[in-house]
Amino acid sequence: MSLDFGLMLEKLPEILAGLWVTIWVWVVATALGAALGFLVAAARRYGPPPVDWLLRLLVEILRGTPFLVQLFLLYFGGPFVGLRLEPIPAGLIGLTVYAGAYFSEIFRAGFDAVPRGHVEAAQCVGLSRSQILRRILLPEMTMLVLPQCVNMAILLIKETAILSIITVPEMTMVIGAIGSQQYAFADAMFLLALFYWVLVEICGLLGRIAEARLSKFRFAA
Amino acid sequence: MSLRLFELMLWAAGYTVVISAISIVIGLGIGLLVCAAKLSPNRLLSLPATLFISFFRGVPLLVQLLLIYNLLPAVGISVPSVVAAVVGLSLCTAAYQAENLRGGFNSVPKGLLEAADMVGLTPWQQLKRIRAPIAFRLTLPALVNEAILILKASSLISVVGVIELTRMAQNLAASTYKPLLFYSVAGALYLVICWTVAGGGALAERMARVGRA
Amino acid sequence: MSDTAPLAPRASTAETPEADAAVLVRGVTKRFGDTEVLAGIDLKVPTGATTCLIGPSGSGKSTLLRCIAFLEEATTGTIEIHGDPLGFAEAPDGGRTRLSPQSIRAVRSRIGMVFQQFNLWPHMTALGNVCEALVTVRRMRRSEAEEHGMAQLSRVGLANRAKHYPSELSGGQQQRVAIARALALDPEVMLFDEPTASLDPELTGEVLNVMRDLAGSGMTLLVVTHEIGFAATVGQRIAFLDHGRLLLDGTPREVFGEPRHPRLAQFLETYLDRGAAALV
Repeated sequence: MSLDFGLMLEKLPEILAGLWVTIWVWVVATALGAALGFLVAAARRYGPPPVDWLLRLLVEILRGTPFLVQLFLLYFGGPFVGLRLEPIPAGLIGLTVYAGAYFSEIFRAGFDAVPRGHVEAAQCVGLSRSQILRRILLPEMTMLVLPQCVNMAILLIKETAILSIITVPEMTMVIGAIGSQQYAFADAMFLLALFYWVLVEICGLLGRIAEARLSKFRFAA
Repeated sequence: MSLRLFELMLWAAGYTVVISAISIVIGLGIGLLVCAAKLSPNRLLSLPATLFISFFRGVPLLVQLLLIYNLLPAVGISVPSVVAAVVGLSLCTAAYQAENLRGGFNSVPKGLLEAADMVGLTPWQQLKRIRAPIAFRLTLPALVNEAILILKASSLISVVGVIELTRMAQNLAASTYKPLLFYSVAGALYLVICWTVAGGGALAERMARVGRA
Repeated sequence: MSDTAPLAPRASTAETPEADAAVLVRGVTKRFGDTEVLAGIDLKVPTGATTCLIGPSGSGKSTLLRCIAFLEEATTGTIEIHGDPLGFAEAPDGGRTRLSPQSIRAVRSRIGMVFQQFNLWPHMTALGNVCEALVTVRRMRRSEAEEHGMAQLSRVGLANRAKHYPSELSGGQQQRVAIARALALDPEVMLFDEPTASLDPELTGEVLNVMRDLAGSGMTLLVVTHEIGFAATVGQRIAFLDHGRLLLDGTPREVFGEPRHPRLAQFLETYLDRGAAALV
């Protein structure tokens, strides 16, 4: 290894700053993306048919094109339609919209996965439409889609690395820059890979723990 | 956009398809081996397979590509960037395909194998005649899905300098100063490719079912 | 009927000749596309008695029950619960007019429904399932609702399972919780849709016992069931459905006694052991 760990240590504040950007961008984009996805799924389910068609088209376009191309379109194309964004806001918006498309599909499947009878039972005891949505569908669906949401969140940590291409100063960009300065790019990338690997494994572990603890709320019979 | 520039984009889209297809096929081969190793009772085989799957699914593809692209020359292997790109894409998809295959193999109902046992099929015959065909059918949708993921992920090899669809769009956007146009066209071409693969996959699934189940 | 005083006994509202009918089904047909599932049903479910609805699979008995609960909308015909129309009211011209969602919910909340698949909400405890409507629909205070809910769980012998989630209960226990959930709203009629059909044979007894207790307490029950033994011993009226028509309607002795209707005899022979039918 030609990477100078003494020097790396000196750069620790920079690296931590990069890690911080990775984490907060990830958390915010995941949370906003999930919220957006839920709204889209609900609008497609309860809205008039044209809304459903339009949203479906948008979701299919977002799911059928690479995230990098979406990002380029937003970041480099945006200024031509009056949308001039700094790298971090551009990355955040791009990642949120991208995540929203995938989350909406997860929630759509979740709505369908709640057994019809559970809604009928709620109708029979007199719950209104909005009460059924809030008290029955939403919590039950959350339990059902939790594993997919965890997978999606993990996928999104990895997608944050792509933000380095539009110069968002997150972990990949920071460590890549340090590696280039020291002519030890491969070593730096190896270190970076280990970083992500540990991060993803930790998230996977937390997800599995959460899933195990919530399993009793799910339907057994 | 002049016809000539559009031709360039089409050519680059073709390149994207070819590189993705090669990576998927190589990845399927490696994935089968990794899956077999992971299912093996021998821990000397299953442990490395577990690590392989965990690493390549746990690290962003971009970082994998940058690592491989820079690591190969560092250990004295000098290859064109497109080879490094195919190696990176293949290893990444291999990890995912190994997991898909394992899921398929494990979903074959035990009773079918017990029935095969009772009529005297050997373990190898069971694998060949019962387990593998059923597992393949169960894995087909995941394989189609993976192909679409790799088609989209291949946009990242633009970063190591392969002139595929995304890189071509980038170059033309920069030289003509029309990013909206070229990234939109690139997006549309990706859509056409992905929807075609998805449609073909649905057709293949129907054909895999017909007359067999 | 007000939603705010659920536990007070209700007086019969309609002074019609049919006032003793808890459920009155008039000319109900149900068509799914081209298939006619119910071909004109008239049925009177007497108050304070247990009526059992029997018939072969696909005879339409579950559909009839679901129409009465307004989970399915009858294609034609009307349903009344103690004289109050549910879903549709008869118009002077002989047609039907659709009633408001509020009216539908108000009348429907006087019916308790027990499903074949239990349909307990998996993210709530047994007590949570029982109390849900008391809190969200009847606006009871949580503590009051829980007290009332515990009483219902005791009634089905499950007070000690109040804090358990559905996934932690056996099928028989889940179904008893579902019965408690329906009882909590103090319904005037309890509908059971094959309540033991998805239970293991050794678990059907506990559910049938709870139902037997309810029948003994003078509650109005309408039970779709394959348990002919239960129908013959607990049912005070038996309705036999075949191909969407009500072929027989009477006391167990009238329906099961000799001479038997040929379709009923065939049904009993095809679908059931003759031992159970011989109980009559």
